[in-house]
Amino acid sequence: MPAYFLEIAIVLLGLGLLMVDAFATTLDRRLLGHLGIAGVAAVLAGLVFGVDSSASEPLWGFYATDTAALFYKGLALVCTLLVLVLALEYAPVLESYRDGRPGRRGLGEFLCLPLFLCAGLMWMASMTDLLGLFVALETVTITFYVVVAYMRRNLGSLEAGVKYLILGALSTGFLLYGLAWLFGLTGQTNLAAIQTVLVDWKGDTTPLLFTMALLMVGLSFKVGAAPFQFWIPDVYQGAPTPITAFLSVGSKAAGFIVLIRLLEPLLASPIRHAVLLMLGVLAGATLIVGNLAAISQSNFKRLLAYSSIAHAGFLLMALAAGQPAGGVSPNGVVALYLGTYLVMTMLAFAVLVIVRKAGGSDELTAFNGLSQRSPFLAFALVLAMASLAGVPLTAGFFGKFFSLVLIAGAGQWALLTVAVVAAACGFYYYFKVIRCMYWNDPVSEAPPLVFSQLTRVAIILLCVAVVVLGVYPKPLTCLLAP
Amino acid sequence: MLLFGVGVVVNRNPVASALCLVVSFVGLASLFISLDAHFLGIIQILVYTGAVMVLFLFIIMLLDLKEEARRALNAWAVAGGAVVALCLVGTLLHVLGTFPKGEATLPPLVVPEGQTYEDTKALGTLLFTEYVFHVQVIGLLLLGATVGVVALSKKEASK
Repeated sequence: MPAYFLEIAIVLLGLGLLMVDAFATTLDRRLLGHLGIAGVAAVLAGLVFGVDSSASEPLWGFYATDTAALFYKGLALVCTLLVLVLALEYAPVLESYRDGRPGRRGLGEFLCLPLFLCAGLMWMASMTDLLGLFVALETVTITFYVVVAYMRRNLGSLEAGVKYLILGALSTGFLLYGLAWLFGLTGQTNLAAIQTVLVDWKGDTTPLLFTMALLMVGLSFKVGAAPFQFWIPDVYQGAPTPITAFLSVGSKAAGFIVLIRLLEPLLASPIRHAVLLMLGVLAGATLIVGNLAAISQSNFKRLLAYSSIAHAGFLLMALAAGQPAGGVSPNGVVALYLGTYLVMTMLAFAVLVIVRKAGGSDELTAFNGLSQRSPFLAFALVLAMASLAGVPLTAGFFGKFFSLVLIAGAGQWALLTVAVVAAACGFYYYFKVIRCMYWNDPVSEAPPLVFSQLTRVAIILLCVAVVVLGVYPKPLTCLLAP
Repeated sequence: MLLFGVGVVVNRNPVASALCLVVSFVGLASLFISLDAHFLGIIQILVYTGAVMVLFLFIIMLLDLKEEARRALNAWAVAGGAVVALCLVGTLLHVLGTFPKGEATLPPLVVPEGQTYEDTKALGTLLFTEYVFHVQVIGLLLLGATVGVVALSKKEASK
């Protein structure tokens, strides 16, 4: 089966569910979610077992099916699967912020739109020409604008939607302008062809530098790198929690695959050193801003937002190294990091969704005494936090470790120092959450924490993944070879 | 075209801004036509200037935007915007000045004697052969946007 069947299957699944939602008016919307989950799982199985990447591609030179593309497709699918599980769990909160009869409050559409997002993310992973890349990117961004503002009777959600729309449009403008320059300079839209032109670029490098700056500004918005990170905390806080999880994992992964693909020709050109320098500066600034700003947060969602900025810093740092070191390649480390980041972030958001549903608040105080209310959830969150902080024997350790190895191999000692200090800061604010759960007393008459069996299974699987990947990262390290 | 583009931003009255945008679009269309892309130029006028902008005007007139015209300008925001715009224009001028391809003009389109060049047909062929995949993806994009608009703006009586 050729790889592009996967996206077609996801789109058809989304369209089918949308039709069912439109015509089967008496159906319980939750069934749609379960159908969606089953469908995505089937496509995931298809990706793992059935894809023949050597099949001749009628898709014509702009659709890559290399290992990286397939890995990011898998990432998008797993992410969508978990987001759908969380969305089902979050449904009561979502419906309380929308008008309409019970059961007809737009839950159906809310469960279909992630599928379209997933298709867009999967296309993005494969596109190797500028047009396709941009079209896929916009499919994802425009759908995100909708789902971020979905709880329309909640002012926070609307505010998040407006902010995301305006800043997203601005960043898209920068990115598109940069892509236009890239096309103007080389006369090609295919990235491989662009690379051949840029490799023997003889003329003045000023236009190339200008192009690179525009592309970097646009993509820094998308991945949330400082100094273009202002939208992240507000949007993350306002958006429905499953969508926040999707934004912080799916959107970030997509931003990085686009960044990697666009940087490849630029890194082969005469401006290689300027590109690496710029990445290094961005990485340093992002690490500092993300970690220092996270320390003073008292809202768990904002904390995770700054944590996602901090992780973007580590990812950029891996790219800034620019050369393989110690048997690992920058692109491989980014893939490994994003894979582990997905597992631990989703785990944290899953616990947050359950606590939010019961307590009505995203504040850290809502986690007070969680160890007494539900030892299971508290333990899961401890694993997630330890992993996000990068404690050895959890999944988060290897990503951080390898990016430090890379940067040390490249001899960029200043950046290495910043990263080590930043990682140490991380321990403080992640462990603040653990302190809340184990040392603070719960609020009296705290409502019981209820969640479905499906969510329980998902949380258990994620916990297992965090530990297994921390002890035995072999399934992901095969990506690392330079 | 550029002059009216500035007009869109500077005008305090939204209706005047929208009308400036119309003229700017006409300028863009004439740019297309002067590049021998007649079909694109005409579509630009029909779709953007005709349909989209009229919708824009309707919406602007439906909303009460008198407050917008009275709102005080934030001096820092204006200055910041102007600085960014000037920086971009400056970089553009500098880069174009030093870039040899920027000085060359395209060679005139050569059409063999006795034939006509059908740019509509060429565009259609391109869209539905080489770029058919992109067209499909844009279709999904528009579907997502439509579903979103309906889901966000639908009002149902709560019972």
